Amino acid sequence: MADNILEVKKLKISFRTNNGTVKAIRDISFDLKRGETLAIVGESGSGKSVTSKAILGISAGNAIIDSGEILYDGKDLLKLSEEEMQKIRGDKISMIFQDPLSSLNPIVKIGPQIIEALILKNKVSRKVARKEFNQKLEVLKQNMNASFGEEQKEKISKLIKDYNNFSIKSLELENNYNHSHATTLEVISKLENYLFLVSKEQKVNLNEDIKSFIGKLKDVTNGYLINKYIDEYSLIKNDLNNLLVEYKQDKTKEHQVVLKSVDVLTNLKSLLTRMISDEKPDFFSLGFYLYLNPDADFSANYDASTKEMLTEYLNKNFLDEFLVYVEKAIINSNKKSVELKKQVLDELKQLKAYFKAGNLVKSEALANVSKVGDLVTQSIDQLEVIKDSLAYTFKSSMIANTKSYFFSQKSNVKEQVRFEKQTAKYDELIAKGKKVDWKVVPMKIVDLDDLIENIVSKIERLEANYLSKIEDKDIDFAKKASLDLIEYFKAKASEVVYKVTKPMAKEQAIKLMEEVGISEPRLRYKQYPFEFSGGMRQRIVIAIALASNPDILICDEPTTALDVTIQSQILELINKLKKERNLSVIFITHDLGVVANMADRIAVMYAGKIVEYGLSEEVFYSPAHPYTWALLSSMPDLETTEKLDAIPGTPPNMIYPPVGDAFAARNKYAMKIDFEAQPPLFKITDTHYAATWLLHPDAPKVEMPKIIKDRIERMKQGGDSQDGK
Amino acid sequence: MENREVLLKVENLCQYFRMGRHVNKAVDNVSFEIYRGEVFGLVGESGCGKTTTGRSIIKLYDITSGDVYFKGRRICAGIQSYKNAISLARKDAREKIQNLNNDSKLNPENKSANDEKIKEIKSQLNEIVKNNKTLIDLCKVDQKYCDKLYAKDLVKELEEEYKNKPKDAEYYKSLKIAKKARLVTQIQMIFQDPIASLNPRMTVQEIIAEGLIIKGITDKKYIQEKVYEILELVGLVKEHATRYPHEFSGGQKQRIGIARAIIMQPDMIIADEPVSALDVSIQAQVINLLNELREKLGLTILFIAHDLSVVKYFSDRIGVMYYGKLVELASSDELFAHPIHPYTRSLLSAIPLPDPVYEKKRVRMVYNPIAEHDYRYDKPTFREIRPNHFVYCNDVEEAKYKEQF
Repeated sequence: MADNILEVKKLKISFRTNNGTVKAIRDISFDLKRGETLAIVGESGSGKSVTSKAILGISAGNAIIDSGEILYDGKDLLKLSEEEMQKIRGDKISMIFQDPLSSLNPIVKIGPQIIEALILKNKVSRKVARKEFNQKLEVLKQNMNASFGEEQKEKISKLIKDYNNFSIKSLELENNYNHSHATTLEVISKLENYLFLVSKEQKVNLNEDIKSFIGKLKDVTNGYLINKYIDEYSLIKNDLNNLLVEYKQDKTKEHQVVLKSVDVLTNLKSLLTRMISDEKPDFFSLGFYLYLNPDADFSANYDASTKEMLTEYLNKNFLDEFLVYVEKAIINSNKKSVELKKQVLDELKQLKAYFKAGNLVKSEALANVSKVGDLVTQSIDQLEVIKDSLAYTFKSSMIANTKSYFFSQKSNVKEQVRFEKQTAKYDELIAKGKKVDWKVVPMKIVDLDDLIENIVSKIERLEANYLSKIEDKDIDFAKKASLDLIEYFKAKASEVVYKVTKPMAKEQAIKLMEEVGISEPRLRYKQYPFEFSGGMRQRIVIAIALASNPDILICDEPTTALDVTIQSQILELINKLKKERNLSVIFITHDLGVVANMADRIAVMYAGKIVEYGLSEEVFYSPAHPYTWALLSSMPDLETTEKLDAIPGTPPNMIYPPVGDAFAARNKYAMKIDFEAQPPLFKITDTHYAATWLLHPDAPKVEMPKIIKDRIERMKQGGDSQDGK
Repeated sequence: MENREVLLKVENLCQYFRMGRHVNKAVDNVSFEIYRGEVFGLVGESGCGKTTTGRSIIKLYDITSGDVYFKGRRICAGIQSYKNAISLARKDAREKIQNLNNDSKLNPENKSANDEKIKEIKSQLNEIVKNNKTLIDLCKVDQKYCDKLYAKDLVKELEEEYKNKPKDAEYYKSLKIAKKARLVTQIQMIFQDPIASLNPRMTVQEIIAEGLIIKGITDKKYIQEKVYEILELVGLVKEHATRYPHEFSGGQKQRIGIARAIIMQPDMIIADEPVSALDVSIQAQVINLLNELREKLGLTILFIAHDLSVVKYFSDRIGVMYYGKLVELASSDELFAHPIHPYTRSLLSAIPLPDPVYEKKRVRMVYNPIAEHDYRYDKPTFREIRPNHFVYCNDVEEAKYKEQF
């Protein structure tokens, strides 16, 4: 099962306006699995965009987040400060907006706009990776000490020190290698450019170009790239120098020299291509060997057998022993955390009872919460690679929720007093027969029971989570976990050394532009946004969004402003990139036709609530909520001839959200209960839920409208024959 | 279909825009007819000249060449083709004369015969120039004064009617209206963006009534009643008349745009992407409204859109445009059942449908005009491949397409 990369829990957002508070989002929960596309569908004003903006932390200034949390990588995005949010926004979570023109800076060329993200992100991520690396190593050391006792202490600290030192050695090697690799790539692209110009019989600057190639190649000093081919390389270099000499002797023969240079440079290109296509050395084992034997040199004869030898050396002399220690440390840490979790479970039960009982006192409640919160924080297994978002955010969000409870308790009373006073004054003025040009600001009362329920549900979720974790794990889980941990260290280390320079970033940007389907990226790189058509602009926006290699991509109606052919090109592009980069995509749109192509799962939103969600096949082939029916039947397809079923009326005024089902007023199938109580989410299958009273066992059987029924019939039959066209 | 009345006829419409030295052929040699009471859909990707065609018909642009006939009267006429004809004839004549002159220099004995010929050529040229110039003058008159000519005719008719009757107040009232009558106002346009097409400083009443006031109606009570009636017709209520455009939602704004168009009692409406900027459910409302109005008022609609499923649902006949040229024209069922031109096929293959299984199998065809067509020697024209199904192709392709069916 894929793990959840993003979880939205019980989110409620309202906006403060002059006429009262607009409840834009009312209690929605969903999760996004790694590598899947979740589509959020609904009319405008249903809260789709508000949700996505809340995830990115760019809600409007008058937005109030009433409750809920958005969990990502052990953090609650709603509680982060602006600085912390900036590290996530655009880096881990990127967004593509509806209008491509307004998301590009009109007076900056395309290239710098794409590069900007790359360079900014790199700076931050290197720092963060270094910090995380050190932290984890420190935790590992403590755990080792705890599990082996005093006499091993020296040994352990030596191991950790060794590990740290040779990691740094490997880092240095890898850094140099990366730099040379990038330079080589740059030279290759320049060579291509030169050869292209010659083949088109354009003028080239022979003298300076060749000089620049030679100069650049001096930077490719890294032995692991070049030493294997050093003979060939020096021959080519000689040839190049000869060409220069020939050119200087007789400048009238320039044309012939240029033609000669083509052969030499083609050779050079093929050599460089071979160089960079060689397998990257395993710097981890290499670094260890060089750390112990500083004088050794493998650069000329590094191949598969050397690699094997080095790996063996590393395993024998260090890693096998180290892994034993790591395993012990992991088992120790796990045991400790499980024990703590068992304790915490009792505490959680008490806390739940305390909150359920009511009659809360502020100081007592806060003390209780922070006590349990501390325990929960302690009980986290620090050596786990995948962060458990719920536990990480438990303390801070619980304290915030409790505080908001007591705050609203007071403010509710104040609000009541204010409202009564104002109404009395208003009535008095009216009674006197005066014209009143102001309105009574409506009362904003926070539902205290709701807040308590929110707190309790949070505790319950953590309980369920911990109960599942306490269960006995596999015997060799420690082995797996320790390997995972080593991989984690490696990944972090390579993040630390990954340094992006401007020319590198340019190459990367050009590659990205090619990837998103912009032809002649080298030319386009220097153009302004207004020189592009709508579809091309949207591609550039996608390139910028992808530049920092995000985990999550939010697409807010990316194709609404584009026409059919461009639309399907952009959708294909997003689908392709999603597969290649294992992106998770949140796709927001009102066009169900677009969704069918993209989505793995669909959530239908109406009036700030999710009314139906399920796999895309389920929602399209067996829709259950009347609103989904209405949406499906209001769009014509190629076979439709009868009158369209437009949804009558407009969405409800969200300042005074309806008591019952929000869709009831526009719903042909509404029953009496729809106006009285909100329907819960009824389960249809394991993955398919819908919030409508029609699914209640006591409800009368209602068939979906004929127009959709016919269409679904047609789809099921014609699924095979329709393809292609 | 043949005996239906042709309401609008577009012949060889060209609309070029000059951008410095470069000429942008936005619409190039487009011809079609729209019958009374039908919905004619025009599809194509953005930038292919659909909107320009619509705007040229309603005289928002001065067209470069070609003619547009509305109710049998020429309302737009371009002069570029006649100018080209003149310059071509001149060039031709100049060359011929030069050849003859050279001939006389070499062979002096032919001189008298050649002089005769030159005279003949010159007179022919003068004839051509004269003919074309009169045509140009006619075009200029039609282009500029078609409305006034129409008003004149109306006034004449009115006078005919009152020849034997005494001229009462009714007469003067209708005379005033007849004098201000405009032919082009019988074609109205609905614009794509409802927000940008409504003046934010005018109330709905002012916006809707503006056309009537320009038409010369001064009776305020009549105007108000008319506005209320139209508002009800498009699904709004009386109270909305005093509000400003920003107080409405997107769908309602588009309804105001429609109300403004139909209050002029037009015979034809050019709907330029009226639903592209709207939500799905509101889209359906607006389309249903247009359908109702069409039945009630007997409107003819030129429907410009890029959403093919909407066009298919709404239109009787469809024209497909690609880079300023009309590449295919057929009834909508025929077009979707038997798309012939490769561009149409690629367009049809790009339609997304609410069917996940079909969607995952759908393969988009890419249209590459350079690879598809070889127009180096044999220039393409608009030809009928199947009954009432026209395609832009050359001889080779015509044979190929005909073989397919």
